[in-house]
Amino acid sequence: MFLALKEIKHERLRYSLIVLIILLISYLIFLLSALAIGLASQNTQAINSWQAKTVVLNENANLSLTQSVLTKKDLQDWHQNADTAYIGQVPTVAKKAGRPSVSAQFFGIRSQQFIYQKQVLLAGKRARGPHQVTVDVTFKQKGYRLGDWLKLSGAKGKYQITGFVRDAKYNIAPIIYGTLPVWRKMRLLGPNVVASAVISKRVMAYHHGNAKRYPIAKLVAKLPGYHAQNLTFGLMIGFLFVISLMIIAVFLYILTIQKLQNFAVMRAQGIPSRVLVSATIVQAVILMVVGVALALVLMQITLALLPAAVPIAFPPMIGLVTTVGMLLMGVLGSFIPVRSILKVDPAAAIS
Amino acid sequence: MTMIELKHVSKIYGSGQARVVAIQDINFKIAPGEVALLMGPSGAGKSTLLTIAGSLQKPSSGEVLIAGQAVSKLSTRELSQLRLSELGFVLQAYNLVPFLTVAEQFQLVDRIKPSGNLSREELEKLLKRLDIKQLLNKYPNQLSGGQRQRVSIARALYPNPSVILADEPTASLDSERAVAVGQLFQQLAQEYHKAILLVTHDQRLETYADHIYQMLDGKIQVPAN
Repeated sequence: MFLALKEIKHERLRYSLIVLIILLISYLIFLLSALAIGLASQNTQAINSWQAKTVVLNENANLSLTQSVLTKKDLQDWHQNADTAYIGQVPTVAKKAGRPSVSAQFFGIRSQQFIYQKQVLLAGKRARGPHQVTVDVTFKQKGYRLGDWLKLSGAKGKYQITGFVRDAKYNIAPIIYGTLPVWRKMRLLGPNVVASAVISKRVMAYHHGNAKRYPIAKLVAKLPGYHAQNLTFGLMIGFLFVISLMIIAVFLYILTIQKLQNFAVMRAQGIPSRVLVSATIVQAVILMVVGVALALVLMQITLALLPAAVPIAFPPMIGLVTTVGMLLMGVLGSFIPVRSILKVDPAAAIS
Repeated sequence: MTMIELKHVSKIYGSGQARVVAIQDINFKIAPGEVALLMGPSGAGKSTLLTIAGSLQKPSSGEVLIAGQAVSKLSTRELSQLRLSELGFVLQAYNLVPFLTVAEQFQLVDRIKPSGNLSREELEKLLKRLDIKQLLNKYPNQLSGGQRQRVSIARALYPNPSVILADEPTASLDSERAVAVGQLFQQLAQEYHKAILLVTHDQRLETYADHIYQMLDGKIQVPAN
C-alpha cells in the first residue's frame, strides 16, 4: 500500500490519465447497462407489474399476443380465479387534435379481474364505461390531460382518459387500458372470441382446443426485438469488460516494464517480491476504485439531467454488479505483469 | 573476524564452446572497519564478483560467507533477508526509489524491516554527518549527483548492515567530491565498523583503502597489500 500510494502521488499526471480511461470505460458500461435495463423494462413493464407467471395463448400464434385469439371453446375447461385475467391486445395509434399522435398498445381487460384492479393510478380514476380508458403516464408526458377524448385507429368513436397509470408499457409502447368488447370491435372479432390471452399469477397447466399454457418468460423472449436488443447490449457490455481488462493489463504491464530497473534495485536491497507484487495489485485496485467511483458520480449526474422520455434505469443492484465486475477486471489485469516482477533479476541492479 | 569472505570462488557461464569463465578461484576477506578496493579494466569480472559477493547470484564453485553465514545454503527468501539485514548496496545508478522522498526511502526500510535499523538519533547523526538532513523532503530527481550519492550511502547504512558494497561510487564525480567520498567510506568503516568493498576504476580512492585487489581476466592479480 505504501509503495502504491507514494508512486501514484508522485506520478499524478500519469495515473490521472489511467483513472480517466477507467472512468470513461466504466461510465460507458454503466450507461449501456442502464439503457439495456431501461429498454428491457419498457418491454416488460406491464408484465412485471402484473407479477405474471404463466400465459395461455392460441398455440398457433407463435407466442405472439397480437396473433393470438382464444375462443369460448378453447377456454371451456378454464377455471377463472382471483389470480387470472383475460386480456385482449391490439396495437393502435391514439390521436387528439392539438396533441402528438402516440403509438400504443390497447389492452382490453375486465373490471372484475386482477389486472384492472392492480393498475397503479398516478392521477384520476379507473375507467368504468365502455368509452373510458386509463393510459400510461407517457401520455401525460406528451401533453395529454385527464378528460381528453382520444381517437384510436381501428376503433369507432372516441375514448375519454379517466386516469394516468404507471408501469404500463408493453414492447416499449404505452398501454391504453380499455374493455374487451372494444378490443373485439377493433380486431373485428365475433362474440365467440373471449380474449387474446389469459394471464395467471400462478404456475398452472392448461391445454384445451387451441389454447395452450406457456411460462411468461417464453412470451417475453418472443417480444419483437427484445431478444436481439438484449443480446446486442449484452455483447457490448461484455466486450467493454474485456476491453477494460486489457487496458488495465496493458497499462500496468507497460508501467511495470518501465520500472524493472527500480524493481531490480529494490530486490537487490532485499525487498521481497511479494511487496512489489502486492504494491502492483493494490495500485490496480486503487485506480479501479477511484475510476469507477467517479464514473458512478457522473452516471448519477447523467440520470438527473436526462429527459424522462429516455428509456433508462439504473437500479442499485446493476451499479453494484458492474462495480464489482470492474474491480475484478482490474485485479485480473494486475496479475499480467506479476510474472515480470517475479522474474526480475536483482543482479541487473549492478550494470 | 571477517565480515565477508570468498573462498575459491569461480563463476562459469555457458558450456562447451560457449563456456566463459567470468571469475576464477577468487579468495579474499574483509574485516569490520576495513575498506577493500577491487580495481581492474572493464570486462575483468569486477561486476560478476560484486554480484556474487552481494549474494545476487551464486558462484559455480567455491563459497561465500557473509557475517559467518554460507550463502550457498540459503533459499531465495533467506537471501533476500540476508541482503536486507547484512548487506548495503551503493550502486552506480544510485539505489534510490525515484518516487519516494529521501525521508520515505528510510520509511520503506522500516516497513520491510521494522527492527535492527539505525535509531532516530543515529540516523539524524548520519544525515548531519553526510550533510543531507535538509534534503529529507526532496525526491531523487531534485538532488545533485553528489547529494544523491550521499543519500544513497545513508540509505545503504540505514538497515545497519555488516557489509557495504559499492559499485563505481565516484563515477561522474569531480576530483574534490571523489576524494570526499573516499574519505567518507574510510571514516564510515571505522566509525560504524563496517566491512566495505568498493568496485572502481578510480585510482584516487587507493589512498583510503586497507586492501587493494587488481582483477584481470577473472583473476585477482595483485594480492592484498
